[in-house]
Amino acid sequence: MLRSIHLVVLVITLFFFGIVTAQETISGVVLQKNGTPIFGANVYLEGTYDGASTDEEGKFSFTTEEKGIQTLVISYVTYEPFMMAADVSQLSDLKLTLKEDFNSLDTVVISAGSLEASDNSKVSVLKPLDVVTTASALGDFVGALQTLPGTTTVAEDGRLFVRGGDAGETQIFIDGIRVFSPYTPTANNTPTRGRYSPFLFDGITFSTGGYSAEYGQALSSVLLLNTIDEPDQEKTEIALMTLGGGIGNTQKWEKSSLSVNTSYINLAPYVAAFPNRNDFEKPFESISGETVFRRQFDTGIFKLYAAFDTTNFELTQEDINLAEGVNFKLKNNNFYTNASYQGDLGRTWKLQTGGSFTSSNTNLGIIDDNINNTENSFHFKLKLKKRFSNQIKLSFGAEQFLTDFTEDFDNQSVSASYGYNNNISAAFAETDVIFTKKFALKAGVRGEYSELFEQFTVSPRASIAYKTGKNSQLSVAYGDFYQQPTQDILKFQQNLEAQKTQHYILNYQYVANNRIFRAEAYRKQYDNLITFDTEFAGFESNYTNNGDGFAQGIDFFWRDNETIRNMDYWVSYSLLDTERLYQNYPTTATPSFANTHNLSVVTKYWVEDWKSQLGFSYQFGSGRTYTNPNNPGFLQEKTKDFNNLSFNWAYLIDQQKILYFSVNNVLGFSNVNGYQYASTADANGNFNRRALLPATDQFFFVGFFWTISEDGSDNQLDKL
Amino acid sequence: MRTTITLLAIILLSLTTLAQTKYEKGMRKAFDLWEANEAMEAANIFERIAQAETNNWLPPYYAAQVNVFASFSEKDEAKLIPQLKKAQDLVNDAKAISKDNAEILVLEAQLLTAWIVYDGQKYGMKYSGKISELYTKAAQVAPDNPRVVLGKAEWDMGAAKWFGKSTEPYCDDVKRAIELFATFTPEGEFHPKGGLDHAQEVLAENCNK
Repeated sequence: MLRSIHLVVLVITLFFFGIVTAQETISGVVLQKNGTPIFGANVYLEGTYDGASTDEEGKFSFTTEEKGIQTLVISYVTYEPFMMAADVSQLSDLKLTLKEDFNSLDTVVISAGSLEASDNSKVSVLKPLDVVTTASALGDFVGALQTLPGTTTVAEDGRLFVRGGDAGETQIFIDGIRVFSPYTPTANNTPTRGRYSPFLFDGITFSTGGYSAEYGQALSSVLLLNTIDEPDQEKTEIALMTLGGGIGNTQKWEKSSLSVNTSYINLAPYVAAFPNRNDFEKPFESISGETVFRRQFDTGIFKLYAAFDTTNFELTQEDINLAEGVNFKLKNNNFYTNASYQGDLGRTWKLQTGGSFTSSNTNLGIIDDNINNTENSFHFKLKLKKRFSNQIKLSFGAEQFLTDFTEDFDNQSVSASYGYNNNISAAFAETDVIFTKKFALKAGVRGEYSELFEQFTVSPRASIAYKTGKNSQLSVAYGDFYQQPTQDILKFQQNLEAQKTQHYILNYQYVANNRIFRAEAYRKQYDNLITFDTEFAGFESNYTNNGDGFAQGIDFFWRDNETIRNMDYWVSYSLLDTERLYQNYPTTATPSFANTHNLSVVTKYWVEDWKSQLGFSYQFGSGRTYTNPNNPGFLQEKTKDFNNLSFNWAYLIDQQKILYFSVNNVLGFSNVNGYQYASTADANGNFNRRALLPATDQFFFVGFFWTISEDGSDNQLDKL
Repeated sequence: MRTTITLLAIILLSLTTLAQTKYEKGMRKAFDLWEANEAMEAANIFERIAQAETNNWLPPYYAAQVNVFASFSEKDEAKLIPQLKKAQDLVNDAKAISKDNAEILVLEAQLLTAWIVYDGQKYGMKYSGKISELYTKAAQVAPDNPRVVLGKAEWDMGAAKWFGKSTEPYCDDVKRAIELFATFTPEGEFHPKGGLDHAQEVLAENCNK
C-alpha cells in the first residue's frame, strides 16, 4: 500500500515537473524603424501572465507553458501596439519593428488657415481661458478672436472681418451645426457681441481660410465652437454686473446633466451715469436664457442646446442731413436650438449627426419706416467617419439647409410684403492620409445644389503639411468656396448665382517650449460678387454677378509663456492688401472695412501677492477708407489710425468669489470710424461732413461673480 | 487507499493554488520592482496581469498609479501626455470592473492633478472642478478611508495655499487620516494600504507651525 502511494507521488511529481519543464522560450529584439532598440517595451502573450520588458538593447526573453497558436503583444507608449499570432515554438529570436503612433504629439498636423483655442497643444494658439481673460474681449469669444492674426479691427461693428472679407463671409457652427444669427443686434455705431456664453465651449477652431470640405456657404472663414461634453460638477453661479445680472445652475445625474443660464442686461443706469453720444429714448435691454442637456450613452453622446433672447432699444442718432437726427428702434426675438449626436458604430466607424432650428423676428423702426421680418432656418447634417488605420481616415456626409424669410415694409405711402425660400443641399467627402510622421495630406470635395438659383457648384479642397524640423512645419492649402448673397440682396432679387472665392495659403509654424510662432501668406481671389446700381439695394436696382476682387497678405503670430515668469503674452500682426468691385462701387476699390496694418498685443500678468491677474491689450489698426465727395475719386481717402488700450483686473477674493474690473480705451484715444457727408453741397459748393464716432470713447465694467458648489470648494479659476 | 485519496486531494489542491499563486507571484514581483525603483518594469507587469485577470481592478489600478506618480516629475511634454493618457485608459479599465470605488476615484483625482501640475493655466479650469467632485464622491462612498481623507485634505490645502489662505483648518483632516491609517485593514494582501508616510510628510510641512 505504502509503495503504491509513493508511486502515485512519484508519478504526480514527475507529471508536475513535466509540465514545468515543457516550456518554450520566447525571445527577440524590439527596434524602431531606424534600427534603434526600444527600451522598456512590454512584451507578452495575450491573456496570459507570461511576458517581459525589453532591456537597453531592446532584447526580451521569457518562458511559457502555453502551447499552440498564441498572440504575442508588444506595447510601448508613442508606438502603435504590435500583435502577432503564431505557434509558440516559432516565437524565438524574433526581430520586430514597432510603428510610430501617428496620433502622437510629434506627428505633423495640417495647420494652414486654422487657429485653435483648445487643449490640443499641437495646434492651439489660444487656451480656453483666454476667451474670457483677454482685456479687450469683455467676456465675448468674438472679441478674443479679434486679437488673432487675419482679422481686421472694425470697432463700430464687433463682428469678425477676416482677410479682406466682410462680416457675412464668416459662418459660425456649434457642434458642427450652423448658427444662423450668431450676433446680438445693436445700433449703428455700437459693436455687437456673440450671443452665446463663452463658458459653454471648451474647444474653438477659427479658420481664416482653406478649411475642410465639411463646411460651406462661407467665402472667407469658419468659426467652429464645441460645447463641453460633461460639466465638472453641480453648482449655482451668480453674476452681478454694472450692466445687469445673471444666474445659472447645473445639475448632474448618473449619465446626464442639465445646465440652465439666464441673464438680464439693462444699460439704463450706465447711460444715466455716463451719458454717451447716442440719445436713448429706451436704453438697450436684453433678456436671455440658454440651456444644455447632455446624455452619455455606452458608445456616444447626445446634446441638446437651446437659447432664447429678446432685445429692445430705441434711440436717436445724429445725422448730417437731418437736423432732428434719425430715430431708430429695434425689437428682436431670437430662438435657436441645436441637437447633436456623436457615437461609435463599431469597426472604426463613427457617426456624427444633428440639426438646428433658428427663428428670428426683428421689428425695426427707422424714422417713419416700419420693417418687420422673420427668418426661420433649419440645418440638418449627417456625417460618417471611417478610420482604416492610424494613417488613413475617410469622412463623408450630406447636409440640408432650409431658409424661409419674409419681410413687411410700410410707411405712409408704401406697404409691401416680400420674401424668399432658400434651400441648399450639399454633400462632402474628405480623406486624411498621414504618409509618414513628417508628411500628411488632406483632400476633399464638396458639392452644393441651390434650389433657388438652380445652380450646382463643386468645390475641391486640399492641404498638405510637411515637418521641417523637430518643432517646425510647413503647410500649404488650396480651396474653392461658394456662398450665396446675403439676405439684404436675396430679399429683392433671387435670379442670381453664388459668389466664389479661391484661397491659396502657405503657412509656417514653430512650436516649442510654451512658445509659438506662425507666419502665413495668402492670396484670395473673389469672383461673381454681387453688384447693383443704386445707392441702396432695393427692388428697383439692377443686380449682376459681375463683381470681383482679391485679398492678399501675410499674418504673423507670436506667443510666449516662458520667458517672463507669471507673464503670458501674444502679438499678432496682419498685413492686408485688398481691392474689390462689388455692391454699388463705381470702380474697383479697397472697401471701408479693410485696412492695411493690424496689430494686437495681449498680456496677462499674474500677481501672486495680490491674488490678481492684470491684463492689458493693445490694438492698432491703420486708417480705413472713405469717400470724400469734395475730391474726385471713390473710397480715395483714409481715416486716421485706430488705437485702443484696454486693461482688466481680476481679483480672487476666495475660492468662490471673484471681483472683475475692466476699462476699455484707458488712454482715451479719440477714434474715428469714418465720415458721413452731406448729400447736398452748401453755398460754397462744399460737402459738409460729420465724423462717425463710437457711442462712447471709454467703457467701464465691474462685475462680481460667485459660484456655489455642492462641496463648497469649487473655485473661480475658470472666471479668470 | 484513503491516504492516496487524501494525498491526491492535497496535490490537486496545491495545483489549483499554484494557479492562484501565479497572480500573487506576479503582484509580489511587481511590488518588489516598484520598491527597487524599477517603476516602469513594475507597470509592465501590472499591465500584463491586468490583461490576464480581466475581473480584478487591482492590476489596472496599480499600472495606472505607477504612470500617474511618474508623471508628477515628468517635464517632457511628448512623453508626459501619452503617459497620462495611458493612465487614464487604465483608470477607465479599473472603473469598468469596480464601480464607485473610492480608491479608484482618488487615483483619478490624482491623475487630473498631474495635468494641472504640468500646466495649471491650461488645465486648471478644465479639471479643478472635476477633482473636487471626485473627492466629494469618494468621501460619500468611503468616509473613513484614510487615502480619501488625506487626498481631499491635500487638495483643499493646495487650493487654500494658492488663495493665500491658512492651511490650518485642514490639519485636523490630515491628523484624522493618520489615525485612520493606524486602524485601516486592507481587504486583502494587494489592496491599497499605503500613504501613512506621505500623510506624516504633509502634516510636518503644513501644520504645527
